[in-house]
Amino acid sequence: MKVPGMLGPKRRGISGAAINRGLRSGMASKIVGPWDWILAPALMSIGLTLALAAAFQPFGFYLPEPVSPLILAFTWPLIRPSYFAPLVLGVLGLFLDMFWGASLGFWTISLMLVYGALVTARTYIVGQEWIVVFGIFLLTECLFFSLCVLLTLIDTGVWPRLWGVVEQAFATTLLFPFVLYLLEKYVHADVRFQ
Amino acid sequence: MPYGDNNKHFEHLKLPMTWAVMGVVAVVCIVAALMFLGDRREDVEPGAYNKRAGFDTVASLPDKALSYPVHKIGDGTNWLDDYFFAVRENRSLKKKVAQLQQDHDRMVELADINARYEKLLNLRTEPPVETVAARSVAVSRGPFANNRLIDAGSKKKIGFGNPVITEHGLVGRVVGVSADVSRVLMVTDVTSHVPVMILRSDARAMMNGDGGGYPKLDFVRGKDSVKVGDQILSSGDGGIFPRGLPVGEAVKGVDGVWRVRLYSNRAPIDFVKVLLFKDFSQLPNSDTLLRTPAVSDVLPPPAQPVVASASASSASGSSAPRPAPSTAAVTTAGAASTSTPSAKPKPPAPKPATPKPAASKPSGTSDAASSTPELRPFVPPATTQTTSPAPEGQQ
Repeated sequence: MKVPGMLGPKRRGISGAAINRGLRSGMASKIVGPWDWILAPALMSIGLTLALAAAFQPFGFYLPEPVSPLILAFTWPLIRPSYFAPLVLGVLGLFLDMFWGASLGFWTISLMLVYGALVTARTYIVGQEWIVVFGIFLLTECLFFSLCVLLTLIDTGVWPRLWGVVEQAFATTLLFPFVLYLLEKYVHADVRFQ
Repeated sequence: MPYGDNNKHFEHLKLPMTWAVMGVVAVVCIVAALMFLGDRREDVEPGAYNKRAGFDTVASLPDKALSYPVHKIGDGTNWLDDYFFAVRENRSLKKKVAQLQQDHDRMVELADINARYEKLLNLRTEPPVETVAARSVAVSRGPFANNRLIDAGSKKKIGFGNPVITEHGLVGRVVGVSADVSRVLMVTDVTSHVPVMILRSDARAMMNGDGGGYPKLDFVRGKDSVKVGDQILSSGDGGIFPRGLPVGEAVKGVDGVWRVRLYSNRAPIDFVKVLLFKDFSQLPNSDTLLRTPAVSDVLPPPAQPVVASASASSASGSSAPRPAPSTAAVTTAGAASTSTPSAKPKPPAPKPATPKPAASKPSGTSDAASSTPELRPFVPPATTQTTSPAPEGQQ
């Protein structure tokens, strides 16, 4: 994936180690386990959600409240279909339900539908230019938040304030560089992913 | 290994990865959908959020740790601010104290007069409400849920439904309680409905949250009952909130809908006060109060057509069935008395000159005024010893 400002897979992350199995260094593969691309980002997402929920209003403004697990719901199916990732995503959705006080299953359903849609369409998205991926991300966000509005309408019978939905979608869009970072780091990182 | 190995028939059979993952996704979706259907947030009941009490206790810990340095820095800047601007603040405070002293004297005088009026009118006044102070540790402020965790719980006698206010106005009410942490449903949440009144006109309305900072003001009745800038207070209707809590000011949105500019948004919500107010639903036995009475306990039974004798019907020459004597309907107001043997068929009343069909003539309005069916209020069986028989005079 051609991403401006990124050098490609030459860099080694702090989490993975290069293993030389008797091959030449250029062909040495790197083992990328579930901790690297599933569990660690999930924990970072939980940490970000907790940090931004602090009761702190700098200069009278509220902190943004992005739906950070949406980044993972978008990225994980593009990296590799996995049995483990949807389960972790379900746990993340349940965490959002509990922490933000929504109905149980509200965020889980929305995130899982995004994941399922992208698993089926991953072959059309992987390898595209970053601007195409960004466009698909915006489209995914529209569908995701529309689904959230619909579920809120079903649950409470009240339309949520749409401008507030746009604000939350905008805050989530600001996390798009993490999508590029994760794709760049993990899409071609392990030959077993191919 | 050859394909014909008897021990490994399916080693070359690969389950398509994408379809298998979709199966996992479908299972998680089904589980989530079942949870969603079983957890209706609109029905805000004590059990709805209490099952999250353990999670709230754990989730509040990192936010308490995060907010600690923030509060310390805030306290430090406040100290510096006080130090540098002490003289100017002292002057302005002296002016305020002089003004407030006059207001205080006036308030004492009015309170004395008010107390005398209450005694004269024998009014039942509300007792003072005890309060508990707490600090907000975590906020959910999105469009789909507006909640807040505060660091006080059942150890400080906080209970479900307790209103939460700041020094400015109403914030919300407690919907989940654990030992040290409580979850507050903000008045801006989509499930929040607060009965309010407009102070100027005493008109009633319902303040419904929509996830934004300006809740809607619905069900406003009357002409000019609301004007821009009118003060909105809690009306106390429904018994959830006490009457008279300051809520906000009326504003008109760009969509033409009346909204409320909340007083609690005047400053960041840091410290809050929880009113240990027992709402009305906690006072009586809700199981008895909210039980829907049987229809036969409230409404009179339908009129039974009288089976007239063949000779009488042939003599009258009318084939239409006659309505039952309405006295029978009166005596059968209770469910138990519908089959009382005292409801004997009486001889038919004198017919009018032009007989009408029975369907167009309700039995309750047929005869004398004393035979009008009586609507009785529902009395729960728990509070009544026996079903009182119908009075003799109604037989």
